[in-house]
Amino acid sequence: MNIVIICLVVSGLFFFFATTVGLLRFPDFYSRMHAAGKGDTLSSLLMLGGLALYEFHEINIATILVGAKILLIVVFIFMASPTATHAITDAGFESGVKPWQKEKTEEQG
Amino acid sequence: MIWQIDLSILSLVVLCAFATIMVKDLLSAAIIFGAYSFLMCLLWTEMGAVDVAFTEASVGAGVSTILFIAAAYQTTRIVKARRRGRLASKIIGLGAAVIMGLVLLAAEANFPGFADPNSPASLHVSPYYITQTLADTAVPNMVTSVLADYRGFDTMFETAVIFTAGLAVIAILRRVKRSDLCELPEPYTISAGYEDTIIRFVSRQLVPFMQLFALYVVAHGHHSPGGGFQGGVILGASFILLAITYDMQFVQQRMSEKWNILLGNIGVLIYAGIGFLCLLLGANFLDYSILSKILPATDKIMARSHGMLGIEIGVAIAVMAIVITIYLNLSSHGKLDKGL
Repeated sequence: MNIVIICLVVSGLFFFFATTVGLLRFPDFYSRMHAAGKGDTLSSLLMLGGLALYEFHEINIATILVGAKILLIVVFIFMASPTATHAITDAGFESGVKPWQKEKTEEQG
Repeated sequence: MIWQIDLSILSLVVLCAFATIMVKDLLSAAIIFGAYSFLMCLLWTEMGAVDVAFTEASVGAGVSTILFIAAAYQTTRIVKARRRGRLASKIIGLGAAVIMGLVLLAAEANFPGFADPNSPASLHVSPYYITQTLADTAVPNMVTSVLADYRGFDTMFETAVIFTAGLAVIAILRRVKRSDLCELPEPYTISAGYEDTIIRFVSRQLVPFMQLFALYVVAHGHHSPGGGFQGGVILGASFILLAITYDMQFVQQRMSEKWNILLGNIGVLIYAGIGFLCLLLGANFLDYSILSKILPATDKIMARSHGMLGIEIGVAIAVMAIVITIYLNLSSHGKLDKGL
């Protein structure tokens, strides 16, 4: 049980780290939003899932309620976070942010 | 209290405060200010003040960020640097800030330590609240009972302050006649004719859950962090979400301006009315224990609990209506036709 929880939380941390690296290193607005939307959602699922499992260490009505609330948070993050990412990306597209293209760098080089 | 976490959060708070001042783009400043509020919320959670943290998360980080963005949208987004008197005003500002900081630092030495049991605040009334709340009012969350019962006057006038803020926004911004309209720059266009099926669908699905959660926060404030202010703000935020993803008419069909003003009044009236009811029944203003005379099957202790629930509902209604009113007026410059 503990091993599963540690695996979940650590992999969640890894994906959060990957998200941060992606946000800082990717070349343009769209790829950054891609990193933020995907990594954030997955890592919050992993970490909160791990925390919910941790609550189920001893089964009684209180821990089940807390675990169920954490899982509900996961459900709402899964609905809200991709939608927010979509909204920001779409707003960027509407206001004419140009995607990054590889040819440009080749011309320079 | 883990000082490593405190220190990292506090340094981030200071960074956010500096970034908010330095950034020239007001929209970015509003968003950084939201991040600042979330960090404060973390700090308060870490100090064990969960109710305050909840209020900060819903009011400070949630609704006030939206209100700042609406205000920036209707006025201007970029701060122009002033040329004349810049250096002098900077020196004066810096001097004032440094003197203020020195005064605060000098006063800080005399402060009691965090959670010091011998500090004046912990010796005077706190022990009474901590030991007697459950016996007096049958409410496990003592923050709620202090807020709504022991210090009911304070909270009543806080509600009145929020109501007055709503009135002030209406009085300043609301424009009914065409001749009232003054010349304004065109609002900064975030995106033209924005309609998106995905965003509309998801927010339509989320709004009922938000409102259900808000009612839970209001009703469960006796047992867990939360209460009228937080629940009212979440209720108002659900309508603001609809106003952003759909348009202003969509919200106004459900919560018209007239209903908003009426509900704001009704909320304050519920609060003051319960207090006045106690007066009529022969006790002091806001002394809920006398309500056991008219509430069936309640003793004096449960009557205080029920009285608190009544005023929390009043606060929630008032705050919801006022938050919606302020947002609608700010984001449409008082015309209530179209906003963000």
